[in-house]
Amino acid sequence: MEYTDACVYPLPNGDSSLRRMAIEARDLGFDSIVAACVEGGSYRGVEIVGGILARAKEIREVQAIARKSTSSPALLMASAGPYSLNRALIQTGWVRVIREIQTTPKNSFDHILSRIAAERQVAVDLDLSLIVRERGYLRQKVLQRYADIVLLHEKFGFPLTISSGARSILEMKSRRDMTALCSLFGLDRDGTLAALGSVNRVLNRHKPVEVVG
Amino acid sequence: MKPRPPTMRGKHRYILVRTDPPGLDLDGRTLYYAVAESLTDLYGDAGVARIQPSVVSCSDGCAIIRCSRAAEDEVIAGLAALTNIHDKKIAVRSILTSGTMRSLRQQKERWNAPAPSPCEDVPFQGKSWIPVRYRGTKVDLFEKGFKNQERLFLTEEDLEE
Repeated sequence: MEYTDACVYPLPNGDSSLRRMAIEARDLGFDSIVAACVEGGSYRGVEIVGGILARAKEIREVQAIARKSTSSPALLMASAGPYSLNRALIQTGWVRVIREIQTTPKNSFDHILSRIAAERQVAVDLDLSLIVRERGYLRQKVLQRYADIVLLHEKFGFPLTISSGARSILEMKSRRDMTALCSLFGLDRDGTLAALGSVNRVLNRHKPVEVVG
Repeated sequence: MKPRPPTMRGKHRYILVRTDPPGLDLDGRTLYYAVAESLTDLYGDAGVARIQPSVVSCSDGCAIIRCSRAAEDEVIAGLAALTNIHDKKIAVRSILTSGTMRSLRQQKERWNAPAPSPCEDVPFQGKSWIPVRYRGTKVDLFEKGFKNQERLFLTEEDLEE
């Protein structure tokens, strides 16, 4: 899993089947994809990781979703919220990726959470579909927020993941396109390629040492 | 009038792009306006004036786009942000960048979209669809009807299930 598109939505959430998306991902230079709400597997050399999306207002709801999901290796991705929720999401250890950070206030993810996320190897997802889909003020806000996250990432070293957020094969982006789009908010080529490879790192992260007995 | 010497001319880069889905009837002028609009959205009028985009050729699902040197990444970002033309969903994927058109023309043959082959109607999810098959196992399904036709992107194996 060297290069991974961190979130795509196959049928029935989009207009393309999972297999077709896997073929398209391979043509676009990826060797794995995270597909929302499907079981993991492999198709024509492309590894498919099942993604679980948790959109909750309280940590208890996320914990309930995490307990229900038994399929392995699945990537639990939770939507960001206020500061307290984000802190709880990062500290629980179940959530691997925090998504939709751009919808939250700027102070909901600060240098303290960045440091904890780096320690616990919890990634922050940058969804490129918002940059492509939005126009004007909304796009500017997303670019501003992503630039801020990139700044924190460079300082504290927490993982970033990059997703196309594609609901169709026409919305999927190649590595080349992703690199160009990421340059809009200050993530350079090396940083983008590292972020495309960080899903593997997040899935196989080292657990903290526990003292038993 | 004496032509300007080569050293004083503006330097350009050429980008080979592929348009998806295959079979779209797209001319150079339409593509140019779409690309210019996308770039204007991203970089503004001053940015587009600096980038100097133009569509050099457009045929068989491939196009060559020219831009000023050092602006190729900005053009690629603009192409990636292009999602529809005349309310039709489209993807413009950059393939190669070069300093001359000759090398891109040689590569273009590889990327030309194969002609789709329409077949008999197939049932899928309780509806009747018109399938269009491409090289490999790719199948596009078009909903039967006159307007607002839904399009699904599947594989042969999806249809067999």
